[in-house]
Amino acid sequence: MQQFISKGKNIEEAINLGLKIMDAKKKEINIEIMQMESKGFIGIGKKPAVVKLSLNQHHNHLQEGYSSESQNYSIEKVIEHTEINENLDVRERSEASLKQVELEGKVWVENGQLFVRDSSRRYPTVTISEGITLFKDNVRVKEKSTILAEKDQIDLLVEEVANKKTDWTVNLEDQGLSAILKVNPGYDIKRQIKDIEPAEHIELTFDETKEVVNTLSEEDVVQQLKLLRINYGIDYNEIVEATKTIEPNTFIIAKGLKPHPGVNGWVEFLVEINPKNGLVEDENGKVDFRESKSIPTVEKGEIIAKIHPPKPGIPGVAVTNEPLPAQQTFPIKTTTGKGIIEVDDQLVATESGRPSIEQRGQLVKATIVPKLVHRDNVNLSSGNIRFHGDVEILGEVDDNMLVDADGDIFVHKSTSYANLTTSKSILVKGNVISSELAAGKSNMLMVELGHLLGIMHHQIEKMMVFIKQLIQSPAFKSNDFSVSGLQPLITILLEKRFKGFTTHAKKYIEVVNHGEKYLSDEWCQIAIELKQIFLTLSNHITSVDRLKHLSIKMQELSDFAQLPVEPNAYITISESNNSSLYCSGDINIIGKGCINTKVHAGGHLNVKGVVRGGEVYGRLGVTINEVGSNSGTKTIVSVPDDQMIHINKALEGTILKIGNAKYSINKEKTHVIAKLNDSEDIFLSNI
Amino acid sequence: MLKYECFEKSSLLEVTLIGDLDIDGTKIINEKLIPQLMKSKKINVNFEQVPFVDSSGVGLLINLVKTIRENDGNITISNISQDIHDVFEILQITEILGKETFIES
Repeated sequence: MQQFISKGKNIEEAINLGLKIMDAKKKEINIEIMQMESKGFIGIGKKPAVVKLSLNQHHNHLQEGYSSESQNYSIEKVIEHTEINENLDVRERSEASLKQVELEGKVWVENGQLFVRDSSRRYPTVTISEGITLFKDNVRVKEKSTILAEKDQIDLLVEEVANKKTDWTVNLEDQGLSAILKVNPGYDIKRQIKDIEPAEHIELTFDETKEVVNTLSEEDVVQQLKLLRINYGIDYNEIVEATKTIEPNTFIIAKGLKPHPGVNGWVEFLVEINPKNGLVEDENGKVDFRESKSIPTVEKGEIIAKIHPPKPGIPGVAVTNEPLPAQQTFPIKTTTGKGIIEVDDQLVATESGRPSIEQRGQLVKATIVPKLVHRDNVNLSSGNIRFHGDVEILGEVDDNMLVDADGDIFVHKSTSYANLTTSKSILVKGNVISSELAAGKSNMLMVELGHLLGIMHHQIEKMMVFIKQLIQSPAFKSNDFSVSGLQPLITILLEKRFKGFTTHAKKYIEVVNHGEKYLSDEWCQIAIELKQIFLTLSNHITSVDRLKHLSIKMQELSDFAQLPVEPNAYITISESNNSSLYCSGDINIIGKGCINTKVHAGGHLNVKGVVRGGEVYGRLGVTINEVGSNSGTKTIVSVPDDQMIHINKALEGTILKIGNAKYSINKEKTHVIAKLNDSEDIFLSNI
Repeated sequence: MLKYECFEKSSLLEVTLIGDLDIDGTKIINEKLIPQLMKSKKINVNFEQVPFVDSSGVGLLINLVKTIRENDGNITISNISQDIHDVFEILQITEILGKETFIES
């Protein structure tokens, strides 16, 4: 008998039974377990153990045909197990068998390997996740799920992902003051099939481990530094740190030496030069009119100021070992006016009077302003006062009289129907009635003229470009320039291309003529040039050079006008009525306030008292104690769109204007700040 | 030196300028050509034989056109070379005299 299938309560019994029948010894046969015994539950599902015994000369694989039919497979392990355990006690052996039974029909993953156990009842199944390929007998399984059997040769392949390389760059920053190494370490991604406990259905997934690998080496960096010619202030510690980093990071691997800034030239004043702001309040808000004479004076021969030369900076070193120049320093440029001479970098007064210093950037203009003290009223008997310097009037300024000064005007009593003009400040202790006050006139003029010059300068530059273009045109002859200059050409250009230019030039000349006495020579010089070249078309031959020269001068002055003046002009009065106040700087009304007065302040407007009627404007903001009138007289308070209005008490009917927005106060309000909100509307908030 | 030729056909007076239109032509244009043209109501200035201009010449031309128009005359300019046209462009002569002043031929 070649083969015999035997049944028994357990495998042992089945084998023994079979051996008896076959009359063979255990050595002579191969044993194949076809079914493990199953105890079942209270007799239900109880199954006998089934073994197939075959004589030794036959190999297992010969029986494969049979085996596959029955869907039962031999498991050598089990056989061995059975053999080894031959002498072990029955109980232990049955436990091992039990384990085998549990695995039947299941599939699992252990150490990345897939194991399958067959069962007679069902095929184990797997779901293949993305990134994993399953080969069954070297054929790729394309479906997402498949059934498996023990006989299949199963291979698993995990899709590899590209590893990221380490990125790094070296950049020069800060004008070569530092070399920055940016490192973004790369990483390797390793995927491994996850171990899965035996189950009838499993899903194949993988674990992904990301390992940061910084491949940057010190040598790489040093090489790159050489390439970039960086050889100063290299920090090798930082380079080593960079090669170790596991996170994207930046390292300063070389540092240059910062240039040490120098100091511009400066003026040291040895005497008091700023007149105290005339009438000043004390802590109690009271104004002591006796304390207003704080205008400084100097005697003949007194040294006013020392001019210090600029100190050059110390140049630095770039990481490429190139010198980094320190910022250029500029000396003080002085213009000495009347009564001042410059000796050995010192400003010395040659006359007695008030030192007047005007500083714009590095430009310093110094003069001694003489002072006129008028001990009486200004009236018909004294005549109008025009003075090149400060004017102090101890009396009143009477009807229709005029005071025109280059320096400060100080009126001890009141002014009525009068006209006060100066390029500096105005101080009036008494009432200002129906008068016109203008302070900082030259500033105002300069700002206006500077603006015009800016426009014209731009146009002249353009004009010169056109002229150049024309000269280069093949059909253009420029030989008449030597005879008649640029005049004919300018006429044509003004006709159309630069039509607006004449208007600007005329306006400029008009403003200069008006304010000639407040302006220095260079402004008037430009007016004359403009007239000659562009307006009268005189016989002066205009060359391209002349135009160039004019353009340069225009630019200088236009730049100059844009510099803020210090100290600024101001108007300080106690109260005003039906007047007009015009000042390039701050206006302070420190008494009862202003009634029906038009106020224009280039700086801040500050009213301690009331504003009743009229229109007030503060370029840098307005602060008013009380505004508006019960009788309904129109009162307008305005500021530009970037400024605020502070009001302690605003009566009904007051109109607030900020930029182009308008707001009418319809109910009395106290302690408010008005400003523009984001949607360009006026917005009131309480203080 | 600038010269010119006049040729009348029907009501149109064709003026052909010969030579550079420059400062040297001031006298001939202001003192001879303009008075002569005052009698005509319809004029065309032919630029075919004008190779160069200068700023004075352009000024003369503008003056010429304006004077004729003040006298209710109708004036056009024709056969301008590309190079001169470029110069006129820069000076915006077409805008000053009006586009309709310049005709093809």
